[in-house]
Amino acid sequence: MSDSTQIATGGDHPAGTCRLGLKERAVTWVFYLPVAFMLLFFALPMALTVVFSVFERTQFWMEPGFSLQAYENFFFSARLNNFLSSMYYSSIAVVICFVLGFPIAVFLRKSVPQVAQHRVILLFILPFMVSEIIRIFALRPVLQRNGLVNSTLQNLGLIDEPITVLIYSHTGVIIGEVLSFLPFIVFAGFLAMEAVPKYIFEVCDDIGAGPVARFRDVILPLASPGIFAGCVFIFVNGIGVALLPNILGGPGAVNAGLIATQAIAALDFPLAMAVSAIMMTTLMTLLYIGHRIFDLTKILAPIN
Amino acid sequence: MNQTDFNRRQLMALMGSAAVAAGLPGSAVAQDAALKFWAPGIAKVGEKDWSDMAKQSGIEIAAIAKSARADESIQKMVVGDGNALYDAMTDNGGGMEDALASQGAIAELDVSRIPNWANIEPRYLDGGAAADTIRHEGKVVAIPYISNADALAFNHDVIGEELSSWEVLFDEQFKGRAALQNDFGPTLTNTAIYLKQSGKQDIENPSDMSEAEVKGVCQFLIDKKKAGQFRTFWDGFQNGVDLLASEEVLVASCWEPIQIVAGRKSKKDIRYGTMKEGHQAWNNIVMLTRGGKERGMEEAFYKLANLYLSPWFGARTLAGLGFTPQMTGVVEYVDANPADFDADAKAAIKARLARKQERLAVPGNSWQNVFPTQIRAYQDWWSRVQAA
Repeated sequence: MSDSTQIATGGDHPAGTCRLGLKERAVTWVFYLPVAFMLLFFALPMALTVVFSVFERTQFWMEPGFSLQAYENFFFSARLNNFLSSMYYSSIAVVICFVLGFPIAVFLRKSVPQVAQHRVILLFILPFMVSEIIRIFALRPVLQRNGLVNSTLQNLGLIDEPITVLIYSHTGVIIGEVLSFLPFIVFAGFLAMEAVPKYIFEVCDDIGAGPVARFRDVILPLASPGIFAGCVFIFVNGIGVALLPNILGGPGAVNAGLIATQAIAALDFPLAMAVSAIMMTTLMTLLYIGHRIFDLTKILAPIN
Repeated sequence: MNQTDFNRRQLMALMGSAAVAAGLPGSAVAQDAALKFWAPGIAKVGEKDWSDMAKQSGIEIAAIAKSARADESIQKMVVGDGNALYDAMTDNGGGMEDALASQGAIAELDVSRIPNWANIEPRYLDGGAAADTIRHEGKVVAIPYISNADALAFNHDVIGEELSSWEVLFDEQFKGRAALQNDFGPTLTNTAIYLKQSGKQDIENPSDMSEAEVKGVCQFLIDKKKAGQFRTFWDGFQNGVDLLASEEVLVASCWEPIQIVAGRKSKKDIRYGTMKEGHQAWNNIVMLTRGGKERGMEEAFYKLANLYLSPWFGARTLAGLGFTPQMTGVVEYVDANPADFDADAKAAIKARLARKQERLAVPGNSWQNVFPTQIRAYQDWWSRVQAA
C-alpha cells in the first residue's frame, strides 16, 4: 500500500508522511493562488464592467437597473465612427509595426549567435524604462512645424515649407503608435520564431528557395500564431491608449480609450463602462477568430 | 443615491465610534491636527511647498494633490470616502458647489468667522451669476480663491496687431494655425458667446444651452473643422503652452497661465486679448467638507479661507500665474509693500489687473456651468465635432 493510500484510508502511517501530504496540498494551493488572483482582480472587475454598463445613469453616479441607453449612446452616435476610425488607424499601425519589426525578429533568430540573442532582445526593453507620456511628448519637438525633421529637411534644401502632416493628424497618431508598440512585435516575433527550427533556413538554402518564398511558405505559416498575438497586442493598445490621440492627434482625435475617459469626465459612468465592455468584446472576438485560424496554443508549443 | 447614503451613515457611525472610543469631543481632537487640504498646486503661492501658506494662515496644512477633474471630486466625495480623508477641498465654482452640497458632502459656511469676507469682490454679494457660484440654495458653501475670464491668446510677433474678437479663431487667415480646448464646456460656451453676440445664432444663455442651440454651435464648429480651420484641440496645460510657444498655432482659446508661460518659454510676444463679444468667466472655490466639520476643523478652515481672501494671496497669485484676485485692495497692498514687489512686478500686476477688469466688464460674458441642463446633448454633439 502506498503512502497516499494509507493517508486516504486513515491507516497507520509515519509522521513524516503526514507532513509530506500537507506539503503537497500546500503546493497545490499555491498553484491555485494565481487563479484566485485572476478571478478576483481580473474576471470579476471585467464582469462588473458589463453589469455597470446597463445601470441607469444618475446625475453624478449610476444606480442598479437595466438600461441599454449607454449602448444606444455609443452605437447611434458619432462615437461609433470615432471607434471605427481608431480601429482603422490602429490597423495601419499594426501593418507598419509588422513590416518594420518582424524582420528584426527573424534577423535576431537567424543571424545573431544564440548566446547573444536574449541580450540583444533586452535592448528593445530600454524604451519602456522611460514613462510613456515622456516618450510621446518627446516626439513633438521632433515632428512639429519647427521640429527636428522639418528643420533638417529645410536646411538640406529638400523642402521649402514645413511638413505639417507629421503631427496633430492621424499620421502623427500612427507614428506614435508605431514607435510605442514596435517592440511588442519584435518580442512576439522573436518568440514566434522559436517555432521555426534553424535548420529550416539551411534546407531553404539547399533547395534554392528565395527570401520571398522562404518567408511566405515556411516562416509565416510556422510563426503565424505568435505574429498574430503580437499584432493583437498592438491593435488593442492602439485603440485603447488615450495619450496618443490626445498629444499627437488632430482636432478632436479620439480612440476608444479617450471616449471612455471623456465619458468619465462628463460623469457618464454607464457609457464609460459600455465602451470598456465593447473593447473587451472586440478583443475576445479577435482572439477567438485568431485561435480558430492559427491555433494560438501553438505559441507555447516550443516551450512544451 | 443609496450607495452614498450608505457610505455617509457608515462613515458617521465610524466617526462616532472613534470619538466615543477616544473619549474626546471632535474639536479637542482637532486642536493639534493639520488641516487635510485636497487642492491643486495652483491653490498655493510663495514657497514651493505649502510652508508660506501655513505660516500666513497660522495653521498646519497637510496638502494632498488634486486634479481639476469633476469626476474625481464626485467619485471621492459623493461615492467614495473623501469625507474621511479631507477636511477641506477645492473645485470649480458654478456647479460643483451645488453638486457636493446637494449630496451633503460639504458644509454650510459662517462668513462672519472670516474677517476678510469684508474685502470680497462685490460681484459675489449682489445675487448675480458670480454670487451663485459659491452658494447652494442661497446659503454660502464656498469661498472663491481664483477666477478669470478666458480669452484668446495670440502671437503678436507674427500677427503684428491687437486682436479683440473671437472672429479670428474662425477666420480663414488663420486656417490651420488655430487651436481650441478639447473640452466641450469652455469651447462650446465661448463659441456660443461669439455666435450670439455677433448675431450669427439665436442663443439665450451660452452657459446653459438648449439641445437645438448646442446643435447649432457644434454644427458651426464641424463646418469649420472640415474646412481645416483648426490645427488641433489642446488638452492639458503643457500641451497648450507647447502649441503657442512653438508657433504651431498663432491663435488659441486658452487659459491665461498658458499664455503667460508660453510667452516666458518662447521669449515671444504672446498676448491675451479682451474679446468684444464676451468670455466664459469661471472661478475655483475652497470648501469645508462635512467630515472636516465633524472633526472640528472649522476654525482651521476659516483661517485658510481668510488667507484666500487677503490681498497677500491675491497679489501673489496675480503676479505668479496671473489668476484674478477675489478681493479688493490688491493694488493698495502692493503699493504698501515695496520690499515684496519690485517696480517690474508692480507694473505687471497693475497691467494684468486692469486687463482683467476690462474683460470682466464685457456685457456678453457668461459664467461657467459645470453641469448644464442638457449635458447629454453637449456630450453627444461634442463627439460629433470630434468625429467630423
